[in-house]
Amino acid sequence: MKVDALLSRTLSCTLSRTLIIGIGNRYRGDDALGCLLADKIKQALSNEQLMNKRTNKLTNTIDIIEHDGEPAALIDCWQGYDTAILIDAVSSGTTAGTIHHIDLQTQALPDQFRSYSTHAFGIAEAVELARVLDKLPPKILFYGIEGESFAADTKLSDTLKKAATLLLQQILHTINSEKEIEKEKRHA
Amino acid sequence: MNDDTQPQLKGKGKTKTIKVDYLARVEGEGAMYLKIDDGTLTDVQLKIFEPPRFFEGLLRGRKYSEAADITARICGICPVAYQMSAVHAMENAFGITVDDDLRALRRLLYCGEWISSHTLHIYMLHAPDFMGYESAVHMAKDYPKIVEQGLQLKKMGGTIMSLLGGREVHPINVRVGGFYRSPSHSELLAIVPELEQARQIALETVRWVKNFDFPDFEQDYTFVALQHPQEYPMNEGRIMSNKGLNISAADFDQHFEEIHVQHSNALHCVMKGSEQSYHVGPLARYALNFQQLPAEVQHEAKQAGLGEVCRNPFQSIIVRSIEVLYACDEALRVIRTYQKPDKPCIPIEPKAATGFAVTEAPRGMLYHRYELDTSGDILDCDIIPPTSQNQKMIEDDLWKFVPQHLSLPDEKLQWHAEQAIRNYDPCISCATHFLKLEVDRS
Repeated sequence: MKVDALLSRTLSCTLSRTLIIGIGNRYRGDDALGCLLADKIKQALSNEQLMNKRTNKLTNTIDIIEHDGEPAALIDCWQGYDTAILIDAVSSGTTAGTIHHIDLQTQALPDQFRSYSTHAFGIAEAVELARVLDKLPPKILFYGIEGESFAADTKLSDTLKKAATLLLQQILHTINSEKEIEKEKRHA
Repeated sequence: MNDDTQPQLKGKGKTKTIKVDYLARVEGEGAMYLKIDDGTLTDVQLKIFEPPRFFEGLLRGRKYSEAADITARICGICPVAYQMSAVHAMENAFGITVDDDLRALRRLLYCGEWISSHTLHIYMLHAPDFMGYESAVHMAKDYPKIVEQGLQLKKMGGTIMSLLGGREVHPINVRVGGFYRSPSHSELLAIVPELEQARQIALETVRWVKNFDFPDFEQDYTFVALQHPQEYPMNEGRIMSNKGLNISAADFDQHFEEIHVQHSNALHCVMKGSEQSYHVGPLARYALNFQQLPAEVQHEAKQAGLGEVCRNPFQSIIVRSIEVLYACDEALRVIRTYQKPDKPCIPIEPKAATGFAVTEAPRGMLYHRYELDTSGDILDCDIIPPTSQNQKMIEDDLWKFVPQHLSLPDEKLQWHAEQAIRNYDPCISCATHFLKLEVDRS
């Protein structure tokens, strides 16, 4: 199945309130990853099959936003959601293109992830602060790809382009799994 | 803490190095190097290794109208300051002045940035130093309500920036001559209840930070800041000092100069001729503009133990909290008296000229100069952010502060030295357009 079709089917069926947050800077090469993947998912949301014919509104319960990673605003934006999915480029020292998947409800972002922000208070700190303040959503997942170049550029590196396609499929698979769990809960 | 400040030089005949590869809780990447020979401090280097970003070169050949949005990209914490200095410099070049209502809106936007930036530093970066915590996250475990208040106050600043700027980070609604869109009065009035709550938190912030334990460290600083006859300075005023300087922005480069030092990718801005350091930021603004604060804010400052001048950089956290309180009051005043302008901007006619502006970024004076051709294209420009101006000042503080604490174990010495650096809320990302700590003991 093509990714777009898989995406459409996934999003149209998802039941719980989910926020997908694409984090990054479109002008810093691979740092644009989160923003570009958020675009991909947004495109699918605008597909006709996802529109309620009577109300002409989106039928799904997924919101998708782009975010610069400012921590206080980040903590605020996922309040009220059942699930938050964070997508961001990573600079942790592993091989470029490596996909990272972390369940933030059970695990903190590793220390080596903390230097990827030029700001003193970053995403890792936002997550840990939210955990201490009991402001994490019931489910919060982090998907990242090790970046190759964060120099000023408006394009992803070839390595990231390939990895981004794989990551998109992983995210969709996760949302599908969430959907199945929700269905089972409703039928139980 | 006072016991720690007695000079006790030990370890004669040994060299000792304390390194901090990445200084925590500062904006951007830099390092600190201290060398101590025979119990004497012999070298202090604030190393800025974040690479130069060449924004001034990037701006050459661009339109006058692009500078505000391009320079906003220099910093995610203080983009409004860059936008304000850029548009004021262009307007200075074209010989135009915006109407009072547009001027008030710019002031409101700046209030948002002061609230957001200062609150981030007070609660997330600086308070943990005084409370004895490694980070705001650690502090939040014991003081969750205080940290939540900080987040709420910071959010208020972001709300104002989003409302006027289109978005919180790198706002997009500012243009030479005014704004692309001016808000309705009802849009502004809608945030008043939230702003009144923020004002109460700001007041509680002053009353919280005043109780911190501050090292006894007063310095005879040369304070430099804008001064304005009618208001606490943000966008406009003359460049004044407590040592007799009184100049316009156009004369900035006659009195200040940037010099290169080997250990920093950011130029040091110093007093021209003497190459002496000077102090910009909240302490300088407060010292030169106390009389422009409303009586109630002055009262709170005095209740917090401040005089009309504060020379202890560790107490900058109190002064920042006073400025946040003022910014909340000022934002409420602007909103309540706001009248939507007939047009969101005034007409612009480009001409060949050079424009200058200094505005007060949260961390201090931000200088912009643009040389333009007849069609308004940028031929040359100069941008000097507050952290470049404070770099040598920070090193000078360490030269005086560290010898008072040489008896301390390295870990504690490092703590105090980093705290002395954070007094300035340095923004390395701005300055390279900068922290590791390394102490070398002999």
